[in-house]
Amino acid sequence: MRSLYVWLSRLIALGVVVQVLVIAWSTFDILNKAGDGVPFTEDTEANAGAMIHSVLGMMVIPLLALLFGIISFFAKVRGGVALAWATVGLVVLQIALAFASFSAPVVGLLHALNAFAIAGVAGIAGARASRSDTPVAAATGDPGVPASA
Amino acid sequence: MTGTDDPAERSSSPAGADKAALDTVGAPPSGGAEAAGPARPRWVSQVLRWGAIGLSLVLVGTLGYLWYDSRLPSSYSVMSMGYADYGGGFVPAGGHQHAGGVSVATLTGPASGTPAVSMSLTARAGTVTLASGEKVSGYTLNGSSPGPEIRATVGDLVQVDLVNESVPDGVALHWHGVRVPNAEDGVAGVTQDAVPIGGRHTYRFQVLDAGTYWYHSHQVSHEQVKGGLFGALVVLPPGSSSGPDVVAQVHTYDGRRTVQGATGERRIVAAAGVATRVRVVNTDNGPLRVSVAGAPYRVLAVDGHDLHSPGPVVDQGLSIAAGGRADLEVTPPAGGGGAVRVDLGAGSSLVLGPSGAAVPAAATPASLLDLLSYGTPGPVPLDTSRFDRDFSLTIDRWPGFVDGRPGLFWTMNGHLYPDVPMFMVREGDMVRMTIKNDSGEVHPMHLHGHTALVLSRDGVAASGSPWWTDSLDVDEGETYVIAFRADNPGIWMDHCHNLPHAADGMVAHLAYEGYTTPYVIGGNADNEPE
Repeated sequence: MRSLYVWLSRLIALGVVVQVLVIAWSTFDILNKAGDGVPFTEDTEANAGAMIHSVLGMMVIPLLALLFGIISFFAKVRGGVALAWATVGLVVLQIALAFASFSAPVVGLLHALNAFAIAGVAGIAGARASRSDTPVAAATGDPGVPASA
Repeated sequence: MTGTDDPAERSSSPAGADKAALDTVGAPPSGGAEAAGPARPRWVSQVLRWGAIGLSLVLVGTLGYLWYDSRLPSSYSVMSMGYADYGGGFVPAGGHQHAGGVSVATLTGPASGTPAVSMSLTARAGTVTLASGEKVSGYTLNGSSPGPEIRATVGDLVQVDLVNESVPDGVALHWHGVRVPNAEDGVAGVTQDAVPIGGRHTYRFQVLDAGTYWYHSHQVSHEQVKGGLFGALVVLPPGSSSGPDVVAQVHTYDGRRTVQGATGERRIVAAAGVATRVRVVNTDNGPLRVSVAGAPYRVLAVDGHDLHSPGPVVDQGLSIAAGGRADLEVTPPAGGGGAVRVDLGAGSSLVLGPSGAAVPAAATPASLLDLLSYGTPGPVPLDTSRFDRDFSLTIDRWPGFVDGRPGLFWTMNGHLYPDVPMFMVREGDMVRMTIKNDSGEVHPMHLHGHTALVLSRDGVAASGSPWWTDSLDVDEGETYVIAFRADNPGIWMDHCHNLPHAADGMVAHLAYEGYTTPYVIGGNADNEPE
């Protein structure tokens, strides 16, 4: 369970990175085509980058996050439940921010900022879980664990 | 939920050991087996563990149920879909009619009589060669897209034989904005079965109102219309010797904005000082912004209905809803001063003027013409002093599942497809409908078989010409009140004409009491109207 927890946290963080990559690709693709005179209207097909962003963001990452939240109950990671469910909450917020951005594009700034929060929290959760892989009662002499949350 | 404590708290790391120790003050560890750290009593751990399992099951179960419940059967009738909304009017004793009633299949146009306009339209799937030479994959009618223009005069009997030669999903033709009898409305799964390859369907109806209309497929329409299965239908007033008249269907094929199937600039030779009626049809899914450079213009008609004393418009554009039409009057300046450009956006435009005339550059107007106050009030053949039905249609956007697909979907009165309202009326009812949009995006609302009068927007009463519409853009945050007489019995779609939105379930119906449809969505004909 713990290793599953670690892997889910990594997948979520990786997912965020991929989201950043594909949305940059999509934006430059639009700019490139717009420069060639291609119109972008309600009747324009989303480009590949935008399509991947939407599928990852609306389906894959939420599913991973939900699984992460559930697995956290059983993974025996110190503070792992709070971190996992914080991730779930941030993912939900992320989707809400995305849809708010369609009518108010400036909200997109928060959408981008929140992406870092998701990757950060998931990353911290994963790091914490893999660090405390060491047998539990043994670690009395390690006062320097950063109590990040 | 984020605060939920968990059994794993027992797995101590030094940083948390203090807290865990505090937690257990006064509650001695319950057993040696869990001596790894200061632990809760065994029963507490058990409760937490089972609580976590229970919570997970509830969560997964709820989502699973919502997913399962959203799946659509392979075949269902729109009559049994959603819930009846009587709009404060008469409620029949039987409630929501599930069976019985007159079949809409009987509501055909005139069976006898020689049609004044008769045409055969053959639908094919394949490559569309645009008038400007580009090739895109899509659909054609009689080998071209847009399909042949149909021109008739008020009172004419029109007959169209639709033949499906090679469209795999089947086809059906809807007469957008035309008040046809219900059986001629061309909606697969509601008023007919989709015409399969090798099949044929004949439409016969009398055209009652002069104006600019169009026809398009209403089977898998979000793909077929996009791919080019549409054409113009122009109805001329009786006995008119009208002046020059140009149809300008605007369509985006595979990312290319076109007018009459050609990209770029389209030239029309028009004499200086002579007015031309430009019939603009927005066949796309988003609003079309039209602007005119070189001379003032007038908006003669909207959605096929003439406006009352429309004045000259300068420096203002016009927004036409998806599916909507607007007839513009443009006149190249007298004295051979130059041409007029009707800019249709995205590099597409119509240029009218004497050959060789100087063409003005496209200009982006600072504002849009507001039809609510354009023109002057005129006679309205509709008594809007009292209503038999008062419907409201509120559009929102919520997360959920539609046919098993998760996403953020458009809701109508808080419900997702297929749990959408069925607006119930009786023949002769005066109907008022309040359409409110809180969804964040514009929605071009299209009611079949009827033309509605705009009464107000955001509480401001219409003060210009009577504004009749069948395709009305309701923008984010706006509330429109419209009125119409229920005078055309049958089962009519009332949907968003941003067709991908409709495919995502933004479809309601207007149903007349005592009528039912024998057709089903899905079924043997694989009817899929959107």
